[in-house]
Amino acid sequence: MNTLTGTGHLIRFVLRRDRLRMAVWTASLVGLLAMTVPTLAEMFAEPAQRMARAAVMATPTGIVFGGPGYGLEEYRLGAMVANEMTQTLLVALAVMSVLHVVRHTRAEEESGRAELLRANVLGPSAQMTAALATNALVCAVIGGLLTLVLVGNGLAAADSAAFGGGVALAGITFGALAAVCAQVSEHARGAGGLSFLAVGVLFMFRVVGDIAERGGSAPSWFSPFAWAQQTRMFDDLRWWPLALYAPVIAVLFALAYSLAGRRDLGAGLVSARPGPAGAGPLLTGVFALHLRQQRVSIAVWTAAVALFALSFGTLVSEIDVMAGQNPELMARMGLDATNMTEGFLGMLVLYVVMATVAFAVLSVLRTRAEESSGRAELTLAAAVGRIRWMGSAVLVSVLAATLMLLLGGLAMGVGAGLVTEDAGWIRTVAEASAAQLPVVLLFVGLTTLLLGVAPRLVGLVWAWYGYGLVVAVFGLIMDLPEWLLDAGPFQLLAQPPTEEFDAVPFLAVLAVAGAAAAAGLGGFRRRDLVGA
Amino acid sequence: MPSPAIDVRGLQKSFGSVRALDGLDLTVQPGQVAGFLGPNGAGKSTTIRVLLGLLRADGGTARLLGGDPWRDAVDLHRRLAYVPGDVALWPNLTGGQAIDLLGRLRGSVDPVRRRDLLDRFELDPTKKARTYSKGNRQKVALVAALASDAELLILDEPTSGLDPLMESVFTDCVREASAQGRSVLLSSHILAEVEKLCDTVTIIRRGRTVESGTLDEMRHLTRCTVRATTDRDAGVLAGLPGVHDLSVDGGSVTFDVDNDRMDQALRALTELGVRSLVSNPPSLEELFLRHYGDELAARNGAGRGAA
Repeated sequence: MNTLTGTGHLIRFVLRRDRLRMAVWTASLVGLLAMTVPTLAEMFAEPAQRMARAAVMATPTGIVFGGPGYGLEEYRLGAMVANEMTQTLLVALAVMSVLHVVRHTRAEEESGRAELLRANVLGPSAQMTAALATNALVCAVIGGLLTLVLVGNGLAAADSAAFGGGVALAGITFGALAAVCAQVSEHARGAGGLSFLAVGVLFMFRVVGDIAERGGSAPSWFSPFAWAQQTRMFDDLRWWPLALYAPVIAVLFALAYSLAGRRDLGAGLVSARPGPAGAGPLLTGVFALHLRQQRVSIAVWTAAVALFALSFGTLVSEIDVMAGQNPELMARMGLDATNMTEGFLGMLVLYVVMATVAFAVLSVLRTRAEESSGRAELTLAAAVGRIRWMGSAVLVSVLAATLMLLLGGLAMGVGAGLVTEDAGWIRTVAEASAAQLPVVLLFVGLTTLLLGVAPRLVGLVWAWYGYGLVVAVFGLIMDLPEWLLDAGPFQLLAQPPTEEFDAVPFLAVLAVAGAAAAAGLGGFRRRDLVGA
Repeated sequence: MPSPAIDVRGLQKSFGSVRALDGLDLTVQPGQVAGFLGPNGAGKSTTIRVLLGLLRADGGTARLLGGDPWRDAVDLHRRLAYVPGDVALWPNLTGGQAIDLLGRLRGSVDPVRRRDLLDRFELDPTKKARTYSKGNRQKVALVAALASDAELLILDEPTSGLDPLMESVFTDCVREASAQGRSVLLSSHILAEVEKLCDTVTIIRRGRTVESGTLDEMRHLTRCTVRATTDRDAGVLAGLPGVHDLSVDGGSVTFDVDNDRMDQALRALTELGVRSLVSNPPSLEELFLRHYGDELAARNGAGRGAA
C-alpha cells in the first residue's frame, strides 16, 4: 500500500478550500512589512533618533517584542527591520501554521470528513502530508515575498533572504509541531491548545535567554524563535543557525508520522475510559453543565497565563543590571530603574489582558458550538429558558476570565516581588491588571450581543481584537494618528502603574459591557435557534 | 372534551426565501399516538421545532398542551419530553450522566424506570458519549424521555439509528406510554412503524398537510385492491365507474376500486362466476405513495409510481 496515494489531489483541494484564507494571511503579513519598512526609514531618519530607539530595544520590553539585539550599536534600517519586525512575523506565522495544520488534520478527523475521504483511494498519510506541504508552501511564498519587500527597499539581498528564509523555516517548524500535537488529542481544540502552549513555551525560552545576555544565551538556542534572528542579518550575517531548523523539522515529521501510524482514525493517543453511570449531585443545572464543559480549558488557560505571568515578572531583575551598566543612556532617556520596571510590567499586564480576552471570547463562543451541534436544542427542549441558558454560559465566561486576569496580575506581581525583594510590586501589578477588567468584560458583552442579535457577524469581535493587537504593538512605531490608536480596545482605559487610575471610564466601559450583554440575551430570547 | 395536546393550524415558517411550512395543520388528541409522515425535507422537524419554541412561527397558530409554545416554553417543557432525530450529546459526559442531566433539567427522573429502560435498550451508561454510535446516542435520548413522567412525547424519527430488535423494544415502550394515557407525536418515514403504532396519521408535503385522520378514515377515502378468479372474462369491468388499473390474465383479474364503488364492482364481479376473491385495504405505503407518486414518477423519468 502506498501511504501517500492521492496526496496531489488533496494538496489541490486544500489550496482550493483555503485560497481566500491563505491569500489574506499572505497579504496581511507582506503588507505589514511593506508598510513598516518605509515608516521606519522615515521616522528614524536621524542617527540620534535611531540610537534612542536602539536604547529602547535594549530594554527587557524591547527584547520581548524585538529580539537578541544584534546591530543595536549602529542601528540602521536593516538592523531595525531585523529587531522590530522578526518576532511579530514569527508569532504570526506560528499562529497561521498551527491553525492550518490542525484544521486539515485533526479537525477533519473529528468532524468525520476524514472518514469519507479515507474510504476513497487515499493513502493513510496523504492528509497529513497535504496539510504539511500546503503549509510549507504558504510559508515559503510569504518568506519569498518578505525578502522581495526588503530588497525592494534597497536592503542587502543576502541578509533579506536570511530574513525571509528564517521566518519561513520557523513557520514550517511550528506546522510540524502542530502535526505532532494533532496526534495526541482527539479534539481539534485540544490539538490547537497544546500546540499554542508549546509555541508559548518556546517563545519564553527565547525571551529568557535573550534577556539574560545581549545576543542570546543557552536557553535561547532551544527555541526556533531564536534561530531566525541568530543569523545576525544586517549586522554580521551567518547562515548556519538556519541549518538548525532542518533536523528539528525532520524529527517532528518523523514523530508525527510514526504516531499517526500507530493509532486508529479519529482516536487520540489516550483512549476514552468508562465514566460514572449517573450524574453526580453537582451536575444539576445549566450553569453546572456549562462549567463542566469548560473546566479543563479554564484550568489550562488559567495555569498557562499565571505561569507565563510569573516567569515574565521575574525578568524585572535584569532591569537593575541594565540600568547599572548604562547609566548615561538611561539618564538621557529620562528613565530610571523604577519607571523602567513599571513600563515593562505595564506592557506585560497588557499581554495578560490580551490573553484573557482571547479566552473570554472563545468561552462565550462555545454557546455557538452548542447551538450548531444540536446540543442546545436538546437542552432547551427541557424546562430551560433561553435567558437562563445563555446567561449561565456568559456568567461562566465572566467568572473564569476575571479569575484568570486577577491571577495573572497577582502571579506577575509575585514574580517581580520575589526577584526585587520588594513585596510592593505584588499590589501594584495586581491593581494594574484589575484596572483592565472592564476591557475583558466588554469583549464578553460584545460577543454576547452579536450572538444574540446577529450571530453571523460574530467575527467582528475578532476583527476588533486583531486591530487592537496591531495598534497596541505597532502604534508607537508607525506614528499613527491619535484617533486610530484610540479606536483600539486596549487603549480604552488608563494603564496603571504608568498612568493614573481613572474611575469614570472604568465604570463607563463596565456599564457598556453590561448593557451589551443584556441586549444580547434579549436578542437570543427573541431569535430562532440555529438548527444543526 | 379536553383541549388537544397539539393543535396547529395554518402554520407558516420561511427561512429566507425558502418556505419550510406553508399552512400546515396538525392535531393530536390527549392519549393518542399520532403519526407525522412526510419525506425528507417536508417540514416535519421544522414543525416540531416550532412546537418546542426553538423557532418562531411566521403565521398561523400553534397550541401545545393548551399553551403558547413560544411564550410558555419553559413551563410547557416540564410536561413534555423530546427525542431529536439526530441526537448530539456532550462528548465528555457519559450516557448515564446525560440522561440524569436531561431529567434534572426537565424535572425529575424515575430511577426505577431509568434502570428498567437501560436494561431493555441494552445501553451501557458508563461510556463517554463520544464513543457512542448514532443508535446509542438515540437510545440515550429515548431513555431520558421515556423515564420522565411527561404527558406528551415528541419523537422526531426516533428509530432511524436503531436495529430491528431495538425498534421492537421502542414499539413496546410507546404502547406502554400510550396505555398510561400519554400523548405521542411520532414523526417518521418508516411506514410500517406508523401503521403499527399510530391512532391517527398526518401526511405532509412541502410544508402543507395533504391528508390526516385515522388510518380507517383514510382508507375509506381511497381504494382497495381486488384480486379474483372468474369463470368468464372480466374485461367488462373496465367500463365501471370507480374501477382503475384493471388487468386480466386468463381467468384471473386484478383491479383497484374506489371504496365507495366497491358494492357495484362486487355485484358486477359475482355475475362473472367468482371462484376466488381477495380484497386488500390499501397499506399506508400505498396511501403515502398516492400522494407522492407523481414525484416518484417524475424522478424516475417515466412509468407508474404508485403501486
